[in-house]
Amino acid sequence: MTEEKKTPILRIRSLTKQYDNSQRVILPRIDLDVYPEDFLCILGPSGCGKSTLIRCIAGFEDYEGTIESNGRIVKKPGTDRIMVFQDFNQLFPWKTVVNNITYALKASGMADKKARIAKAEKYLKKVNLFDYKDYYPHQLSGGMKQRVAIARGMALGSSIILMDEPFAALDAMTRNRMQSELLHIKEKESMTVVFITHNIQEAISLGNRIMVMSRNGEVKEHLYNTLEKPVTPATPGYGALWKHLNDLLTEERADDK
Amino acid sequence: MKKNIRLIAQILFVIAFLILWQILYSLQIWPPLLFPSPGMIAEAFVKAFTSKGLGPMILHSLRLLLIGLLLGVSVALLLSALSAINEVFAAIYNMIVSMFDLIPGIALIPVAILWLGIGDGAIIFMVFHSVVWPMSRSIINGFNSVPNIYLEVGQNIGLNRIRLILGVFIPAALPHIFSGLKVGWARAWRGLISAEMVFGGGTALGIGYYITDRRTNLDVAGIFATIIAIILIGLVVEYGIFMVIEKNTFSKWGMTR
Repeated sequence: MTEEKKTPILRIRSLTKQYDNSQRVILPRIDLDVYPEDFLCILGPSGCGKSTLIRCIAGFEDYEGTIESNGRIVKKPGTDRIMVFQDFNQLFPWKTVVNNITYALKASGMADKKARIAKAEKYLKKVNLFDYKDYYPHQLSGGMKQRVAIARGMALGSSIILMDEPFAALDAMTRNRMQSELLHIKEKESMTVVFITHNIQEAISLGNRIMVMSRNGEVKEHLYNTLEKPVTPATPGYGALWKHLNDLLTEERADDK
Repeated sequence: MKKNIRLIAQILFVIAFLILWQILYSLQIWPPLLFPSPGMIAEAFVKAFTSKGLGPMILHSLRLLLIGLLLGVSVALLLSALSAINEVFAAIYNMIVSMFDLIPGIALIPVAILWLGIGDGAIIFMVFHSVVWPMSRSIINGFNSVPNIYLEVGQNIGLNRIRLILGVFIPAALPHIFSGLKVGWARAWRGLISAEMVFGGGTALGIGYYITDRRTNLDVAGIFATIIAIILIGLVVEYGIFMVIEKNTFSKWGMTR
């Protein structure tokens, strides 16, 4: 690995998660480093614990082991780790699009109202939703809502954006468009993303790192995705990588039986 | 168009009801003294305001009603909010609500008289008792049904507990709070009128007193005229205030069907 000279923005050691009411260990001693500007895709079958992992990083779950964000132990949710959920209902329906962002900025301690509005509008422009700033969330499509949620995370200056299958509930075409928009934003902004998905194509298109989790919550393989972006099925090496990842996931399905 | 049909249907219903009433009156099944015609009631209605001073009595009653309602809603909001923050308090408060909600207001009138004397204080107490418990049930119910994702987003953007209550719980539960307010408003009237009827003839003058006074004068038309005055106030509040607020808040936010 060539990334050793940088310090990790997120450092996870021996992360173990087990719910009180269950014998099953969901995450058995995970170690993981995420470096600035990484786009880490975590790929795994349903129920493998990938959502639990990202919820632990976000601070929504108790855990054993250590998670450090910017050198500080994660104990509760914070604006350094903003989560973008799969659920479209992550915007407050009683606030307009722009106010959903300014409210988050205010909550995070930004005192100047004008500056809040300016910042919110700046990030709405980045996700091409400036014209919709005075709409209420229920007037937006699912894809638009997800873009507002991403804009909110970026406006908060979050050092890591956590995305828990944000595009999984979208139709295939919208999903593709959202992926390329996200890549586009990622190229222009220096942002670090941890992205959960169970879609191989999505992991290859977006991630510069791909981590595959097994059904029992272990890290099965961790690789660097060196395919040049934007990745299409015609990109040399795509087929081989897709097959490799698919084999890993298929093994998981076979193991289950 | 649809709205017009609804209004026309409502008006036609009222007219049909009045015609039926007039027919029943014309059949002379009951003595006119006990079963007055719509015309006699209309006459009594006008007379109540022009020569019998019902107007000021209504204002007096409305003032007490609003004070009791406001107190009831405020206390219900405050204690329900505390319940949302603290589990121990929630357990105790739920028990209190279950116990006191089923006590009929009229059963507390003797206590109210002994503690607060005959007068405005006892009436406000009765209205407060009628409002605070059903209101609390609705608010607690509303708080419990706030989607988890709003709370997680709220924590993620850095809201503390108090701001989570004001900024997330209350707006998210607004449809429930509002239906509680409607129940509270209706129950407030029951508390008010029953208290005023019991105290009637004392120092307090009000709508309930007026009804008792009409009864002792065997003025059935006058009693119906007073009831119609109450109904008209109810209609104005329902259509002029409640529905306008609804339309400009959670209906606009897409939180109702």
